Amino acid sequence: MTNIKVLGVMIGTLAVYTWIANAIPQIESAVPEEVSFSADVSPAELVAAGAELYSGGGGCTTCHGLETRAPNLLTDYNGEGTIGQRCGTRVSGQDCKTYLHESMMDPAGYVLEGFEPMVFQARVLSGAQIWSLVAFLQDQGGVVTVSGSDVATAAEADAAAPAGGPMVASNDPLEIMRGNLCLGCHMLDGEGAELGPAFDGMGSRIATDRIRTGIIDPAVEIAEGFDHLAGSMPPNLGDMLTARQLEVLVDFLAGQGG
Amino acid sequence: MPKISRRAEWSWLQASLPVAIVMAIGLIAIAIEPLAAQGYTPREYGDFPVIGSRAAIWIAAQLHLFFAAFVLGVPMFAVVAEAIGIFSSDDRYDKLAKEFTRLLLVSYSATAIWGAILVFGLITLYPGLWGYLSEIFAPSMWVYVGIFFFESFTLYLYYYGWDRWKKGRAKWGHWGLGILLNLWGTAVMLIANSWLTYMMSPPAEVTPDTAPGMVQFWSAFANATWMPINIHRLIANVVFGGAIVGAYAAYRFLSAKTDEERAHYDWMGYIGNFIAISALIVLPFAGYWLGREIYEFNQQMGTTMMGGFMSWLWVVQAFLIAVLFLAGNYYLWVGMGRIPGAERFMPYTKWMLLVLLIGAAVWATPRNMIADRAEITAMGGQFHPFLGVLGVMSAKNTAVNFMILTTFLSFLLYRRANKKAVVSWEKTGTTIQGALFAVSAAVVLFYGIYGYFVPSIVRIGFSVYQVLAVIAAIILVVVIDVFMMRGAESRGEIRWGEMPERSQYALFILAVTFTWLMGLMGFARSGIRQHWHVFEVIRDTSVDAATPALGYASIVISACVLIFLSLVTFIFWVGGLAEKPVISGTAVGATASASADGD
Repeated sequence: MTNIKVLGVMIGTLAVYTWIANAIPQIESAVPEEVSFSADVSPAELVAAGAELYSGGGGCTTCHGLETRAPNLLTDYNGEGTIGQRCGTRVSGQDCKTYLHESMMDPAGYVLEGFEPMVFQARVLSGAQIWSLVAFLQDQGGVVTVSGSDVATAAEADAAAPAGGPMVASNDPLEIMRGNLCLGCHMLDGEGAELGPAFDGMGSRIATDRIRTGIIDPAVEIAEGFDHLAGSMPPNLGDMLTARQLEVLVDFLAGQGG
Repeated sequence: MPKISRRAEWSWLQASLPVAIVMAIGLIAIAIEPLAAQGYTPREYGDFPVIGSRAAIWIAAQLHLFFAAFVLGVPMFAVVAEAIGIFSSDDRYDKLAKEFTRLLLVSYSATAIWGAILVFGLITLYPGLWGYLSEIFAPSMWVYVGIFFFESFTLYLYYYGWDRWKKGRAKWGHWGLGILLNLWGTAVMLIANSWLTYMMSPPAEVTPDTAPGMVQFWSAFANATWMPINIHRLIANVVFGGAIVGAYAAYRFLSAKTDEERAHYDWMGYIGNFIAISALIVLPFAGYWLGREIYEFNQQMGTTMMGGFMSWLWVVQAFLIAVLFLAGNYYLWVGMGRIPGAERFMPYTKWMLLVLLIGAAVWATPRNMIADRAEITAMGGQFHPFLGVLGVMSAKNTAVNFMILTTFLSFLLYRRANKKAVVSWEKTGTTIQGALFAVSAAVVLFYGIYGYFVPSIVRIGFSVYQVLAVIAAIILVVVIDVFMMRGAESRGEIRWGEMPERSQYALFILAVTFTWLMGLMGFARSGIRQHWHVFEVIRDTSVDAATPALGYASIVISACVLIFLSLVTFIFWVGGLAEKPVISGTAVGATASASADGD
């Protein structure tokens, strides 16, 4: 009898835990699928692909589904409506499509007041995937204007860009910084954002080797006072610069005196 | 020629099995290497019938981990129990330590067998990943095998030499073997942890284009999450070992034939529960550190873990930990029924239960849930109008710290139940202890409320103050209590063995819950890699690349727990056939002060 009771308690406990885990909402982490469209793709196809990406492998809901890290894009925000309704009024001179696309390509440049910069990197998605996301977001209360030609142009650009290669071809330090979105977080001569440590005066504060390490492996040492932004700096910058660009950048920053 | 008994034959057969298994794996690895040298390219994935490759590897890895955690956790408190026996000259602890080690011995083979199944599974089902990892970690794999060899023989010397080296210097030498056993075991764990943490947090310079031969060994070995995982697992192993020992003692208690046996296993069950709950109290702090390192390594990985598709997992975790606190405290409160003098504390237990229940409810309140438009409309906003307030970390941290303080109070009351202090400052000491509890609770509550009025970045820091207040109170109260209870009079002896049967089922629930929780946290740790074998380096291109939802995971976890508990039961039963544990008669009627030494 003791054996049966013990077995009953154990099986019963396992059954309760398994039941609870099955009773809550079931969310699977899907693999982001490669999206391949021809130039005559319809808006409905783009929206459907974007919806799958948004809720699944794109990882968008990780921040945008909570409202604490980024605004919820599917619901009203500050009385301005859903993202499809408010996207065209965000930045003057930018229509909805341009705004959505640009904010994904350069998220640090479009941080809303009250929120911290996002860790989203457009480079992990293909150009077609980005456009399908734009179409899906436009469809949230707005009109889808993304067309097959947008997708075709992005696909051509993807095919032309060497995988893991540099973002810019220039060896000019300012162009390297702008092309790699460094000024989205760092300030230099009044340009950029005051999120990470300023580039102004960096050479007088930090040793040259430390600057180089900070670019190649930003997680090694977090600048004092910036712990809360740990992980925000892309860890793959070393792969996005040529050896010459890296040294140009290091020399330039090391030369920024007080 | 000496005659070898059947029992000795069994013991040596049992003893040599793990070493033979590890050697066999080594030989197979050597045999595979020439194929690679000839330019043979292995397939990326293999197939496993019915349940699929992912579930097969998952089960093998989880069961290996369960057994490994047990055989790493038990030596830690076996060696402490032996030391208490040496220093206090109390033979009960020495016998207890030996019984712990006997459980260890019979579990050791199972650990090696599941390790072999895991390695063979990786070689046959994930040959591409295995080849990649072994190219980076080959030196550490050979060191691992070597240390495992030494660990095995240290264990055999430790156990089989117990009765031979029991006096004088020889006993100290024997205790040294126990420490050595722990050192080997920890080294083995550190090496294996480096392999799995590399998959989670490879060094930043490693990219998909980096050939494995170009990865710097030490950089891969000591990766970002390696040390936090090491510390977290060390503590969790103690918790787990204590819980399994408690369940073993509970089963023995329920099937005991004599009062002496019942008393012994009642005492052993208490020790197992004490070890498990004490270590559990510090485990969340190691968890915070691990979480922080994950965020620092990759913020997207951190947010996936806490707020992404795994957000509901933490609600389930909170429920499981609430069960642990409730079952652990319930066991203590029921146990106070066999302690003369404990009746004066019993009226407080209902209030302590209330605190635990409220704490558990707050802790399990979800806030950051992914919700679709229909769900948001139904709630009237992104957050539930009432529960949303309780779902924030300020409320949760406050709740868990109150639960820790309450559990500590249970232990304190249990410890003092049959004692009457004789020191002149007893009243002052008790007042100071009460004040420490009050101040600690006030600090926790103050920062809990204040946290609602400051930005999140400031609020995160408050949890440190709350934890420090609780830890400081625990340490100071224990120090005062130790001095205050020196030479204390006894209100009566603990009636070991006179424990209601229902209390023992609490120990079973603790063991099942700890085991299930380990499986759940293993899923969380592994699942945050999502569709990557090695995060953002080696992509999972198999049919199982998507990370499953919690419902499927819970079925696999439950299956693992069921297999583990069935095997453990069988192994302990088989072990009992070969050698019966020596029951110490001193457990019955142990004095109050002796029992307190185990606290």
